[in-house]
Amino acid sequence: MRERPARAIKLNVLNEPKDNYKGGPSSLCPGCGHDQISNVIITAAWENGIPPERVAKMSGIGCSSKTPAYYLGQSHGFNTVHGRMPSVTTGAYAINKDLLYLGVSGDGDSASIGIGQLIHAIRRNMDMVYIVENNGVYGLTKGQYSATADVGSKKKKGKANETQPIDLCALAINLGCTFVARSFSGSKKQLNALLKAAMSHKGFALIDVISPCVTFNNNDESMRSYTYVKDNEVTLHMTDYIPHFEPMAEVEVPEGNFTDITLHDGSTIRLETISENHDPSDSMAALTALHEAEDEKKHVTGLLYFDATKPSLAEDLGIVDTPLLDVSDDVLRPPKEMLDAINAEFLSI
Amino acid sequence: MDTIANDFTINIATANGTGSQSANLILLQSLFDMGVPVSGKNLFPSNISGLPTWYIVRLSDRGYQAPGDRTHIQILVNKATWEEDLAALEPGSVVVWNMDSKMPVEREDIISYPVPMTKLARSLNPKLSKLVTNIVYVGILAELLGITDEALNKAVAGQFKGKTSAIELNINALELGRNYAKENFTKTDPYVVEPRPIEKKRFFMEGNEAAALGCIFGGVQLLAWYPITPSSSLAEGIIAYIPRLRTNDEGEATCAVIQAEDELAAAGMVLGAGWAGGRGMTATSGPGISLMQEFIGLAYFAEIPSVFWDVNRVGPSTGLPTRTQQSDLSMLYEGSHGDTQHIVVIPGTVEECFEFGWRAFDYSERYQTPVFGLSDLDLGMNRWACEGFEYPDEPMDRGKTIREQDVFEAMENFGRYRDLDGDGIPYRTLPGSGMAPILYRGTGHNPDGVYSEKPHDYFALMKRLKEKIDGSRDNLPAPILNENEEGDIGVIYYGSMENSIQEIDDLLEETGLKVSQCRVRALPLHSEVEAFIRRHKQTIVLEINRDAQLWGIMRRELPNDIVGQVHSVAYSDGMPPRARIYSDLILETINEVTQ
Ligand SMILES: Cc1ncc(C[n+]2csc(CCOP(=O)(O)OP(=O)(O)O)c2C)c(N)n1
Ligand code: SF4
Ligand SMILES: [Mg+2]
Repeated sequence: MRERPARAIKLNVLNEPKDNYKGGPSSLCPGCGHDQISNVIITAAWENGIPPERVAKMSGIGCSSKTPAYYLGQSHGFNTVHGRMPSVTTGAYAINKDLLYLGVSGDGDSASIGIGQLIHAIRRNMDMVYIVENNGVYGLTKGQYSATADVGSKKKKGKANETQPIDLCALAINLGCTFVARSFSGSKKQLNALLKAAMSHKGFALIDVISPCVTFNNNDESMRSYTYVKDNEVTLHMTDYIPHFEPMAEVEVPEGNFTDITLHDGSTIRLETISENHDPSDSMAALTALHEAEDEKKHVTGLLYFDATKPSLAEDLGIVDTPLLDVSDDVLRPPKEMLDAINAEFLSI
Repeated sequence: MDTIANDFTINIATANGTGSQSANLILLQSLFDMGVPVSGKNLFPSNISGLPTWYIVRLSDRGYQAPGDRTHIQILVNKATWEEDLAALEPGSVVVWNMDSKMPVEREDIISYPVPMTKLARSLNPKLSKLVTNIVYVGILAELLGITDEALNKAVAGQFKGKTSAIELNINALELGRNYAKENFTKTDPYVVEPRPIEKKRFFMEGNEAAALGCIFGGVQLLAWYPITPSSSLAEGIIAYIPRLRTNDEGEATCAVIQAEDELAAAGMVLGAGWAGGRGMTATSGPGISLMQEFIGLAYFAEIPSVFWDVNRVGPSTGLPTRTQQSDLSMLYEGSHGDTQHIVVIPGTVEECFEFGWRAFDYSERYQTPVFGLSDLDLGMNRWACEGFEYPDEPMDRGKTIREQDVFEAMENFGRYRDLDGDGIPYRTLPGSGMAPILYRGTGHNPDGVYSEKPHDYFALMKRLKEKIDGSRDNLPAPILNENEEGDIGVIYYGSMENSIQEIDDLLEETGLKVSQCRVRALPLHSEVEAFIRRHKQTIVLEINRDAQLWGIMRRELPNDIVGQVHSVAYSDGMPPRARIYSDLILETINEVTQ
């Protein structure tokens, strides 16, 4: 038998194989949208040459929030409590602002129990990527409607939902969130580009990803089933990402119209016009797109809104440039002379 | 007439929001500067303006700091409580009252000094007359009691630090009051102030400010908080000291401060900080701790250093939000669902507020667990004499945190939750280090930090956690013992009860009863506490709550053979502990148990 030539293992800019970005085996239901998202996270982080040890994987509670165990096994992570991942991330950030905080949450975690913390993390423009794996139900507690369930949508069991949903993207835009995108777990290429762009952004980057729950909400009457989303997705633009380490000159120029947006780390997100041009700096246009899609029972995806001008939490905190973690103990504890001086001042009053 | 020097209580009844607090503090400070042992208690409402406020100033050569049993001199300015305050006075008491209130003082059995306070105040400054009224009564008191101008002027200068117009206005108002008293009253009451030599210089300080300073010297790196009385001044104290003590020449701080959206988020931030390898803390009161419960359990189970200060107010629920109590102890000790147990440090003095402020971080990082500081409104928000603060006598204890690669590589059999040293305390690596990354979780885990529901993993983990916290008891602040050789009776107490214990002890001694004392300063209980109980026939546990929370903990944890000799005296009505109530209850209890 002829020997097959050993295939060279593909490496990223850090000379790391993709395997180093993988996690443990998933215990989610086979076919769950969340697993698709985990795979995109692995690919995006690897392709983007992110050092895994510099990532902090954060999550709340839910099937979605379990997924940090299934990607980036070389990163520390914190699977916190239900709906409270934003606050834990904020505290960790205050101590070590040099890590890339990659948060994963669910629609129950983010739109119900944790909506307050989500809102306040956006308000602070906390520097993190925040992915909502949005399936319209509480997967882990066996299929109750969540607050993002669309009107008229019906899950596998029970009646159709008639309560007005909370659109997390519209909410975020109204709050002045600096990066707002929607995607679909089945749209790997788009999600990959959006995710990389979010990682390159400084400030709060929300990606609301429709991620079907095959067990409780993938039936024909559901507006978040694979088939429904595939048939009713309205893409705002074709999305491409050009990393800062790739020479722009070597990137092929598209034939039609496109917009390039330069991100904080020098990378570019390229939005190619499909039919109408969507201007992601126009919050009104973004809200209109969301409301029109809702009226037509469609899901609009792409980079809805982007704003690079707002200061992020780091600037607000007024702390030293070095992460507080690396400030030495003798700086953290003021010297004895300082306390002596304070005692003396009080005693002389 | 015999005089009574430095042994009486002044009660000042005003409405809040009228500026009475600064006048009262000037009175307190001037007495203090004359060397008179004095304490001040602010009984204020949960309101910004217009509700009744009392300020109780107690002068006591014996050093008693509790509010005392009765009022000797009543200042009446507030119409709303006028009649009640007047009726409560014992015959022979003194009343200094505002004639312009047009309220009656119809008691023949008291000594009355009517003063047209409003008119006097208006004559000085019509716009600020309400404010000036307060300082006028201080002037009246100064003349009646013999407080020197020197002491008053110094106190005014200290209160208004360099604000010349305010200083001038106050000095003039004091003089106005003093002159009115001089011209219109012949002193008929016995109360006088006598200066005392100052042996050791001391200053006044609130427990919250002391704790704040302690936290600053403990190297706090993140303060996450949500305002709530009576803890806000602790957080605000830290914020106030950061520019001076924790900021570099470029104006950048080494302590981040985040005003969280609620206490839940504050707790989350504290955990995040601890997880990332920093020193995070929050300051709150009972309602805030209630909201933090889920995170407290996570910190315990995932072993995340985190520091929580609880400045106790009266519960349950919103309770009496501006009154004092020791009722959060069991909630802190056993916070969150499931089997838990936490380290609680309990300062009883301002100096200890400072000391435990920095030590709490050391304990928390040493034992990788939440640590609570339990103070209360009385200790935290009232002013106490303080000799100054001692610089930490040990370097910061960062615990078993591996920060260097070579140290990590030299380790054998590392696992985030593996007990390598047999003390229940595992080693940890930090996010960002690339060393032994794990996904921290609130779910069951094995020694490597991997999810596990296996019975032996869970059982071993819970056993280790128990041993870890148990192992801390004799490394925490030891009880302060004051033992009486002849005494069969021991009294155990904690926290701000320290300020009443001397008087309680004297009252007991007046009846012929000598007791020993043991002030508990931390949970889990130090082994000295059990030894103390064994050295006495009967022990009383004294606390400011209804449910005898420390006693309950002791009954459960002490060996069976001594449980029967430990008894409870628990009482709380919202007031700072008045000595006689407790001494009477102690006598009653002893009578019962020795029968
Ligand atoms: C305080 C608290 N309340 C309730 C729960 C139970 N719970 C676990 S996951 C979950 C809902 C998760 O839904 P979602 O965030 O949409 O995640 P999914 O499972 O759908 O991915 C609930 C209610 C909990 N873990 N904690
Ligand atoms: S229950 Fe739904 S959300 Fe959870 S793993 Fe299964 S498919 Fe995914
Ligand atoms: Mg869900």
